[in-house]
Amino acid sequence: MGRAEGLPEQGLMTASEIAVHLLGTCASLEHFDAYMFGSTLNGFGQDIDILIVGPGGDLLAQLKKEMRCAGQSLPLHILYMQPSEECHSQFVAREKCIPLAQLASSAS
Amino acid sequence: MNWQIKYALASFAKAGRSTAEHVSGEVIRIMTQDQPDVLAAITAVETVNQATAAQYREQIAGLDFLCGYRASCVWEGEAIQYLEQNRVGWGNFGTLGSAALDGDANSAAHKVYKFSDRLLRQYGRVAKVDREFDRIHSVTLRSGVTFRIGMIADYEPTADEVRTLWERFGPVDIVWNINPNGTPQPDANEAGRALGCEVMKWDELKDCLSKA
Repeated sequence: MGRAEGLPEQGLMTASEIAVHLLGTCASLEHFDAYMFGSTLNGFGQDIDILIVGPGGDLLAQLKKEMRCAGQSLPLHILYMQPSEECHSQFVAREKCIPLAQLASSAS
Repeated sequence: MNWQIKYALASFAKAGRSTAEHVSGEVIRIMTQDQPDVLAAITAVETVNQATAAQYREQIAGLDFLCGYRASCVWEGEAIQYLEQNRVGWGNFGTLGSAALDGDANSAAHKVYKFSDRLLRQYGRVAKVDREFDRIHSVTLRSGVTFRIGMIADYEPTADEVRTLWERFGPVDIVWNINPNGTPQPDANEAGRALGCEVMKWDELKDCLSKA
């Protein structure tokens, strides 16, 4: 096991804390549907998998800027999809994605 | 301790097959039974260029591996060449974990792109490969025709990934979905056509190279 002092995952943000952080720092998320999926939902993941579904163009460009700032000290792995792509792939259902808003509301 | 070191140590602790300890700054040591210890730098930079690679190698005596922790980390061709010539392995965190287990950290290359890079180089009709970035290859065929090929490793490449590749690296002739189980989304194919490139899998790419 790791030799870091204490449990290595101590001090890392939980899924709920990450959701609060992203929703609080990325104002443009209001125009998109944002989800988390993958191992971070179960406690810890090597990456933090985020799915963003919504429009392209300037809104997306602005959101990407905000997400870059928000992810300065986080290993965000972000997948951007158009609504038609999500619909075609059924990604949200398939990967059991949880809305960031739902995760944020469960933060203590 | 910076964030990427915390994540790296936590990941090794979770996987359990190797152990890891913080040495200093961005450097960790990874220990695996019956394999040599690995001294690795874990960087949070978005792009590793030749200067960045040289800086890490010169400042860390005995560096075995340079790891770009961010999933979005891009490696420039000159950095790759520099690291390989100096026997420093390179790649993402998954590559580091595998290299520590296999005992080949000094020669390991980013495992996301390793096999497709080799596939291109070994294809009979290819005369020359210029690796501009980890995922961008300029391929010259024996016929003299050149293709600039961009690789996307995702399972289902999206329109945004095709556009982002084009914006970040410039025009390409072909976007190659290198995930063997991958299927590009119809919107990704459309985005490629709108930009002026084709999104394809290896069989189509091979066909394209054989006819050019």
